[in-house]
Amino acid sequence: MKGVKLLLYLCVLWPLSASQAQSVASKWPFFHHSEVGGLFGRVVSGNNLNEVVENRTNLSVQTLNGVRLSKRVAVGGLVGLDWYTGALLTPVGVGARYQFTRPSDQNLSAFVSADAGYGFSWFDKSSTGYIVRGGLMLNPGVGIRLGKPGRGGFTVTFSYKRQEAQVEKPLRWGEIKRDETRIYNRLSIRVGVSL
Amino acid sequence: MKRILYSIPVLFLALFGVACTDKCTETRTFRRFTPVTLTLAQVRQGIGSEAPRTLQKPGKIYTKDGFLFINELKEGIHVIDNRNPNAPQMVSFIRIPGNGDMAVRNNILYADSYMDLVAFDISDATNIRPVNRVNNIFPNGQFEGGYWYINQATGDVQDQRVDYVTERIQTNCQDNVGPTGGWWGGVVFFDTRGLMNAAPSTSGGGGQQQSTNGTAGSMARFALYNNYLYTVNSTEMQLFDIRNPADPKVGNKIQMGWGIETIFPYKDKLFIGSQTGMFIYDNKNPEKPERLSVFQHARVCDPVVVHEDKAYVTLRSGNTCQGFTNQLDVVDISNLLSPKLIKSYPMRNPHGLGIDFPNLFICEGAYGLKSFDARDALNIDKNLREHIKDIDAYDVIPLDKSLLMIGRDGFYQYDYSNPKQLRLMSKIPVKRPNAIS
Repeated sequence: MKGVKLLLYLCVLWPLSASQAQSVASKWPFFHHSEVGGLFGRVVSGNNLNEVVENRTNLSVQTLNGVRLSKRVAVGGLVGLDWYTGALLTPVGVGARYQFTRPSDQNLSAFVSADAGYGFSWFDKSSTGYIVRGGLMLNPGVGIRLGKPGRGGFTVTFSYKRQEAQVEKPLRWGEIKRDETRIYNRLSIRVGVSL
Repeated sequence: MKRILYSIPVLFLALFGVACTDKCTETRTFRRFTPVTLTLAQVRQGIGSEAPRTLQKPGKIYTKDGFLFINELKEGIHVIDNRNPNAPQMVSFIRIPGNGDMAVRNNILYADSYMDLVAFDISDATNIRPVNRVNNIFPNGQFEGGYWYINQATGDVQDQRVDYVTERIQTNCQDNVGPTGGWWGGVVFFDTRGLMNAAPSTSGGGGQQQSTNGTAGSMARFALYNNYLYTVNSTEMQLFDIRNPADPKVGNKIQMGWGIETIFPYKDKLFIGSQTGMFIYDNKNPEKPERLSVFQHARVCDPVVVHEDKAYVTLRSGNTCQGFTNQLDVVDISNLLSPKLIKSYPMRNPHGLGIDFPNLFICEGAYGLKSFDARDALNIDKNLREHIKDIDAYDVIPLDKSLLMIGRDGFYQYDYSNPKQLRLMSKIPVKRPNAIS
């Protein structure tokens, strides 16, 4: 419940309040960046004699809302949802965007992004006996933006996403302890809109 | 600008190839069994009292009159002067091959030694000596999930040595993976429907019990009541008449069904934990307990403790108990003929438990010790007072604000005057060659 409230705040109330603040304090205009995309990677399992390699593709959505500190730099809080195959995680954290190019009338610009936070497992539903717990999330990347400065635009972001998680597993015959540490290392390709 | 834009896809393709591989590592610790054969002479001539030694593989705990008895699995019993809980002193070690359980009445300690029951005079803790023995009374048993039995053809004891092994494997971050082929490798199994015998022996209870009985934990197989010593193995309850404590006589044998694990005496009732449920026996006639009812549950292991009209039963999986249930069941036993589940609470891997109402302590095995306030039976999970995670906990005895706890790491004593913050008073560590990494 606490998670839902925080999610509601970050997605709706905070952007609204930030938007209102924009009219009051135009010094730091409101910044918004919402994206949807995929997390691409692979996993190697088994032992040396029987190694199995599988590809992984998962859905990811994210919204970042904050303020523009300058014409190039924007920072804000982020919340998202990552549907990994074995875990549904909700990253909550902070992010920054820095535009490479001097804002001008040109339609195409590049930017770097840096997001970090903690992926919570509030909405995860696991099989009986399994408990998924979240972990740290890091997501640095680069992207391009289509659209004139000061107006809405479309973005394409390429980033590396590292998400940690812990899984408690049910014990089987003869076992007294069984846990799993997960580190998702993914290429994230997302499209989105920014304001 | 264009150069930067063009380099983006190249950069990330390189990243994808090199870095974008999930890394999921499962760490598990399990038992490995190796068969062992002992002759009857080895078992019976191996008994004796000797100088204190370090804990290596602690089993059950038992306490009486300020003295503490810690079972060294299949080796014997450590005798510890615990009159000052802040500084317990090792006094002696009783060497008893095949020992797992114990109970004390007056100055007589009863201990199993594979198939025999042995009575010791413990009047002098530094010179404990056997005074009597009941031969061939226990046909089989189990230690740490491995069964032992008497080989009728040779007359030898067939047992299993248990080692703990930790291994790490790479998983696919998604499913269970099967055994790697390594962890069953080279292992010989018997049927092992036991569980970790890492907890104390019993006989807390009540009724007309004499003040000279000791106190045990929830996972004990021995209990004292009235003029009888009650022992349970996997299928039956064996009574011993101890009117003369130094001379135990074989009493009635009661068939109980399969999967019997623990016995907990409370007032004039006996609560039996089994792999299929909790049995309630009326013990008004201590010579011949009669079954009143059964509270059935999934096939798992389940020690039980009782306070007034409620029984607290922990169910766990992960070993010979099988099943995939790990929970605490609170059972209404106000009507002993028809026990009813009040509520179940999910747990990690609960083992022994103890209650000093309203304080409820639950051992979570390798996942530590939990302290609850049990006043609200419908919201016990919301009243977790403390979870000590960095210890290994198998069974507890709450004893007048002093919590005795045994685990694979050693023996711990906590002051639980403030149940929200247990204060460690002392610890006797385990010094084991093959400790879990």
